[in-house]
Amino acid sequence: MTTTAKRIGTLLLASAVAAGVANTVHPRRIPWVQDWSRQVEARARTAGIRVVPFSAVRTRLGRDAVFIDARPAEEYAAGQVRGAVSIPFHALEAHYGTVAELIDSGQTLVAYCSNRECDDALMLATELQAMGATNLLLYVDGFDDWQRRGGPVEAAP
Amino acid sequence: MMPGPKIFRLARGIACCVLAGVLLSGFRKILFPADFALAVYRFHLLPGPLVNMVALWLSWLEVVSALMLLLVPRYRVAALWIVLAMLLLFTGGIAINLLRGSAFGCGCFGSSSAEAPLGMLQLLRNGALVVLAACALFAEARSRDSS
Repeated sequence: MTTTAKRIGTLLLASAVAAGVANTVHPRRIPWVQDWSRQVEARARTAGIRVVPFSAVRTRLGRDAVFIDARPAEEYAAGQVRGAVSIPFHALEAHYGTVAELIDSGQTLVAYCSNRECDDALMLATELQAMGATNLLLYVDGFDDWQRRGGPVEAAP
Repeated sequence: MMPGPKIFRLARGIACCVLAGVLLSGFRKILFPADFALAVYRFHLLPGPLVNMVALWLSWLEVVSALMLLLVPRYRVAALWIVLAMLLLFTGGIAINLLRGSAFGCGCFGSSSAEAPLGMLQLLRNGALVVLAACALFAEARSRDSS
């Protein structure tokens, strides 16, 4: 058993060394320590908003969920999730009527923006939550991920 | 009549090959470390500062263990214990997040966004792998006893 324990230790150490060397020379290296609490996803979690990936929202498109595009209107016009409603976070005041209708409809609302780096969708979701929306999801990977994975897309008429 | 050592060696060999195959199929974790770190973060079981370190280490631990199972008989038992421990940890993590209702995949093969959301299927698959690793350890011990 002592020999096995030593060998286990050797393998654990060898893996740590391999990871260290690989992450030093890797073209897609990542920082050893990262502040995950500043990520949009962590902030959404703190705000009590459910974060979902592509696999969870793709099946709901056109069924029981309304997609809300929080990006600026010109980005929405260039291409959006099929059937998505445009409510740019920075022009929210102009869309209060639409927001109220969506909340009253009782449908699941899926907010998204461009990708994991933008927080427009999170800010919009937080506002919707404050206005009484309960069935609220944040598609954190956003439109870039939607396109990359082949989700249905359309351009505004 | 007790099965002979050949049967135990064969069973151990098959189990090791299957386990190594499963571990090596997660090579994307090494190619795309950021994706795997995100998958580890999404389990919400580790303090933030440890997420990247653990993700980098785990992905290499899997590969090193798989190579030992396939190529280095002296280290096979040690690798099997490591694989068993990892599988138990992963299975526990999946079970906890299943109870929490996580919508993400387990990231078992690299990216949690691309995989189907956690479900009983992943839990059963991991459970089966735990049993397989335990069987391989048992067969290893019996093959030594018998020879």
